Amino acid sequence: MNSKDTIVRNTFLCAVAFALASCATLTKPESDVSFENLRAFEISFVDQYAVPVKRFDAAAFDAKVAEGNAKFQDAMTNEKFKARRPVLKDLADQFKAEAAHLRKKASTGKITKALAAEMKRDINDNYDHATAKKTE
Amino acid sequence: MPPRKKQNKPAKPRPKKQKKSSELDSVLDQVSDSTVADAKKELQNLLADAKGNSATFFQQNAQKLEERLVLVSKGELDQDDFNFFVENQKRAAQIFIDSQPPQAQERAEKLTIHLLDVAATKIVPVLIAAAL
Repeated sequence: MNSKDTIVRNTFLCAVAFALASCATLTKPESDVSFENLRAFEISFVDQYAVPVKRFDAAAFDAKVAEGNAKFQDAMTNEKFKARRPVLKDLADQFKAEAAHLRKKASTGKITKALAAEMKRDINDNYDHATAKKTE
Repeated sequence: MPPRKKQNKPAKPRPKKQKKSSELDSVLDQVSDSTVADAKKELQNLLADAKGNSATFFQQNAQKLEERLVLVSKGELDQDDFNFFVENQKRAAQIFIDSQPPQAQERAEKLTIHLLDVAATKIVPVLIAAAL
């Protein structure tokens, strides 16, 4: 291999490395924003429906759950980091489980302040773990 | 002027360090049901092991569990709520266990999933019955 070939090869490798690094730099914050939007949605969902002695509006509740499911579906479709897709799937399943538990409790008037606080605690922990995960 | 020598005061005997009793210990002390004595002991040992472990995950998991058991004893969470939170914790624990080297997985499972199971199946029903 002559020196010209070596220069061409090295230039090509540098270009590939730069492209990959640029891609990660440009899309990671975007991905983080998506996670933070989902976190904010879930917290507001709990704030809205995990309220002691509040009358339960089944239609509004179901509409909000459908909105949440659609947000997760969009986030999974648009997530550029493949490694984060299963994490989003876990978060989506977690949201479904929360919604099912809240529906059961709210429709029977068994919501407590502690339930709301602990739900929000788990949501925040789940998102903290999810966003801390490596994206390679 | 020569420097004044410090007088050697006789050392005061330090009070012995007592193991800090947690709020959960007080709650468990009130459970007099002898049929759960072994489960109580197992729970306390596992919680102590988990909280003394260097891995933050074990400590946080144990802390959450302890606080939720106290909420159950106060009637602020019921068995249904507790089971829901235990399932969440078990899901997170399984992800953590899978990330551990094979030789550490058995112990990790004992300090997380087994600990949560003992609390949910043996301790919480007694706490709820005592709170009624």
